Amino acid sequence: MNLFLQQLVNGLSIGSIYALMAVGYSLVYSIMNFSNFAHGSVIMLGAYFGYYAMTILGLPFAGAAVAAALGSGLVAVALERLAYKPLRDRRAPFLYFIITAMGASMFIDNSVIATIGPTPKMYPEIFGQGPIALGQINVGRIDLAMLVISAASLAALILFIDYTRVGKAIQATAYNMKASALMGISPNFVVILVFAIGGALAGIAGILYGMKYQVFPQIGAITIKSFIAAVFGGLGSLPGALLGALLLGLLETFVSGYIPNGTQYRDLWVYLLLIIVLIVRPAGIMGKSSEDKA
Amino acid sequence: MRLRTFVIALLVLSLALAGCAGTGSAGNVVKIGWFGPLTGDTALWGQAEFNTVKMMVDDYNAAGGIDVGGKKYKLEAVGYDDKGDSTEAVNVMKRLVSQDKVVAVVGPQGSGEAIPIAPVAADNKVPYVATTATNPKVTVQDDGKVNAYSYRACFTDPYQGKVAAYFAYQKLGKKSAAIFMTVDDAYSAGLAQYFKESFEKLGGKVVAQESFASGEKDFRAPLTKIKAANPDVIFMPNYYTDVALSAKQARDLGIKQLLLGGDGWPSENLIQLAGNALEGCLFINHLDFDGAAAAPMRAEYKAKFQKNAELNSYMAHDAFVMIVDAMKRAKSIKPVDIKAALDTTDLAVGTGNNDYLTNPITGHIKIGPTHDPVGKTAWLIKIVGPDMKFQESFAAQE
Amino acid sequence: MEYILGILELSAINLVAVLGLSILTGFTGLFSFGHAGFMAIGAYIAAIMTKFWGLPFWLAILAAGLAAGLVSVLLGRLTLKLKGDYFCIATMGFGEAIRLVFSNWAYVNGARGMDRIPQFRGLDLAIPFVVALLAVVVAWNLVNSRQGRNLVAVREEELAAQMAGIDVMRSKMVALVVSAVLAGIAGALMANFIGFIAPKSFNMTKSTELTIIVIFGGLGSISGSVVGAFLLTALPEIFRAFSDWRLVFYGLAVIVIMVGRPQGLLGGSELTPSGIRKMMAARRARIEFAKAKSSGGGAA
Repeated sequence: MNLFLQQLVNGLSIGSIYALMAVGYSLVYSIMNFSNFAHGSVIMLGAYFGYYAMTILGLPFAGAAVAAALGSGLVAVALERLAYKPLRDRRAPFLYFIITAMGASMFIDNSVIATIGPTPKMYPEIFGQGPIALGQINVGRIDLAMLVISAASLAALILFIDYTRVGKAIQATAYNMKASALMGISPNFVVILVFAIGGALAGIAGILYGMKYQVFPQIGAITIKSFIAAVFGGLGSLPGALLGALLLGLLETFVSGYIPNGTQYRDLWVYLLLIIVLIVRPAGIMGKSSEDKA
Repeated sequence: MRLRTFVIALLVLSLALAGCAGTGSAGNVVKIGWFGPLTGDTALWGQAEFNTVKMMVDDYNAAGGIDVGGKKYKLEAVGYDDKGDSTEAVNVMKRLVSQDKVVAVVGPQGSGEAIPIAPVAADNKVPYVATTATNPKVTVQDDGKVNAYSYRACFTDPYQGKVAAYFAYQKLGKKSAAIFMTVDDAYSAGLAQYFKESFEKLGGKVVAQESFASGEKDFRAPLTKIKAANPDVIFMPNYYTDVALSAKQARDLGIKQLLLGGDGWPSENLIQLAGNALEGCLFINHLDFDGAAAAPMRAEYKAKFQKNAELNSYMAHDAFVMIVDAMKRAKSIKPVDIKAALDTTDLAVGTGNNDYLTNPITGHIKIGPTHDPVGKTAWLIKIVGPDMKFQESFAAQE
Repeated sequence: MEYILGILELSAINLVAVLGLSILTGFTGLFSFGHAGFMAIGAYIAAIMTKFWGLPFWLAILAAGLAAGLVSVLLGRLTLKLKGDYFCIATMGFGEAIRLVFSNWAYVNGARGMDRIPQFRGLDLAIPFVVALLAVVVAWNLVNSRQGRNLVAVREEELAAQMAGIDVMRSKMVALVVSAVLAGIAGALMANFIGFIAPKSFNMTKSTELTIIVIFGGLGSISGSVVGAFLLTALPEIFRAFSDWRLVFYGLAVIVIMVGRPQGLLGGSELTPSGIRKMMAARRARIEFAKAKSSGGGAA
């Protein structure tokens, strides 16, 4: 029983990381109807921004988190302005967006490798060392911190979207960009805002990821998991992304923990589930069933 | 149209450049090749090796070059990045032997790269001396045939596994062990297998064996399973970045057992990345960093590169020394002659007095019939605070 | 000389895979993150057949293409009806899944890879070139046929193509299968050329590098893909000193091309006599138009 509970905790801890990543990605998708495949690179940059904020600028965790969110938010907006907006203006086919996103992620990831280098870096231990024991179960300190921060960020986001005027403007634009523009909501403004928020969430996800594991340039590769999590939960749905991510984390952990040699095959199970979801219910758990899936 | 003209020009230029075939080791210059990971997870070690190769070339040349059969030659280093990838390794090896026409190659450091290039070396008759590639398949194929042009400066994994098992069982008195390895890495999987065989032959019991794929960062699930099996010691034959991370996660899960490792551990960054998760843990190394034999090179490397030399620096040094020694004994710079001389290499370890250019640092190197050093010393190192402290050494009769 | 021959061989091998992707992405508008998976299938089939079963090269190459094609039919059935984003993520998953399958299969030595695969020697070294040539002929004929025009119609406006009577699903499937077969053949050639394969080489970076060649050469141009394949295989070898920056450059180049010159090198045009004439005519027209605009603009 204890083994099971420990694995449960392990699974939720991985899931909460995926959640932060998936929500930012899903947010952008819900507005732009486009998968920002460069999201992973923004997350990775967040990890580095936070790291340097702590080590070179000597900021405490809160300051570093803000630095990471700001830095990543800026990068995301820059990406939008420089790479995606020109395509949008030209009504470029959907294919071009994906290609550009891929190019951007390749550019960012390898720039970091070529300049800072591929050797992983370690965040200073600010939450103290050693686990926190709840009976027989051990929870890492950083996991608890992450839980709190993720929950807070997501709550803030949902409150913002549902209860502020600007949030409603975002919802309106997601529903129908042209009509909202006619009602006086500037689509440009909304797009920039959405990318900024998505980027900020990515930045926080990055610094938390870096603290939980290590800081290295290939962090972006993890994000394929967050795409899958978002698909599970329903692309475009924020609560769905959260749910999908937690489920994914649990799935991974239980495959690894209970199936013999599971850790080697773990990702295979994830992809298998992805295919099943895409065939049976492409809208995901909480996605709106939309006709243009086909 | 400007774009097109530019492209055509580029095409012409590229063909022209490619057409400039390497001039090879002509005149009084002898080219020594090197390749290894300059990017990727193990880039730290590749860079350490390449730095060492370049440093030694400069030192040899400053001393007037090397004397081969009465003629003086200057050395030149040609090095490439294999990105830690086996296919890339085959590519760069081909380039080194056919385009750059090096007389011998120092490296590579990874078994995963050293094994597939054996046919390339044999076809082109250019020998290579792997630095830290410990998998037996580097020099000997499954059917027992020895790879004609493959050599190494280090001990092999069966030997290392035996030493680790011996230390664990006899010296530390651990009767049960768990293994946590990198499933898709030739080195890690091989070492794990040899450790298991030796440990069980001594009477120990392997109560859990878990693995992960390289690139993985969350080890909690398999570590939880290891914890449940309650072993006396946990053997982790992985590379230092994964070791550091998995050790931390293990401690976070409340795993208090001793962690034991192989030569994938030693690195300047290991302790920094692990914090105190590895306090008191032990690993097998190819040398004692603080020993007398290593001192002169350690000092020079630090002065030149402002960092401490890594394990791989010393191994690259030894491989280089083996090649130069072979050239001198063969009295020839022809790769086939160098290979023949490598077969009879027998070099005593340096004493730390001015013999750094002629003698190996990591131990006595006597090449045996399988192109491996016979009875090479293994050093058990303990992590104490921020230091790695030598515990004892072990030189077996193979 | 052997070195230069090696680069040309690799270019030819890349070309075969690139042609397939050109048809899929350039002409049909489908983006695949997982084509390295088809290459892996082809490579391993060929390696097993030539190393373990001692079968001749040409048989292995055929089997490789066939196997990749069959798998692609299965994949297509499952995923082609999905919307763009979903299809991409599915191909991502597919590519990674294939890599994992081979990494865990002990028969092929798992993640450590297979070495000592029988290699092309002597006259056999011409095989990649012959195959590449055949591939160009096949691709050329496909895109210039009615089926080829159907593909372009699907790329441009799917709904309209459907209404015009084109079986969109079938067209997409044709594109996918052809591209998979070609990728599988390329994988087989790679295995028998290098003599060593490992699952790690068939990762997402490989898939995206192939797509980059298509983009660079120009979407919708066979000649563009040919030029791109040779250029982008040879250039990295020449600029080895800057290999750190190669992928940085590729990423930047992709963004710049998509934003500034989406047609890449030869997008939409071909290096045939008529194609060149068309390009020159277009250029002349552009110049005339620019002149007319600048001189007549003020008066209007």
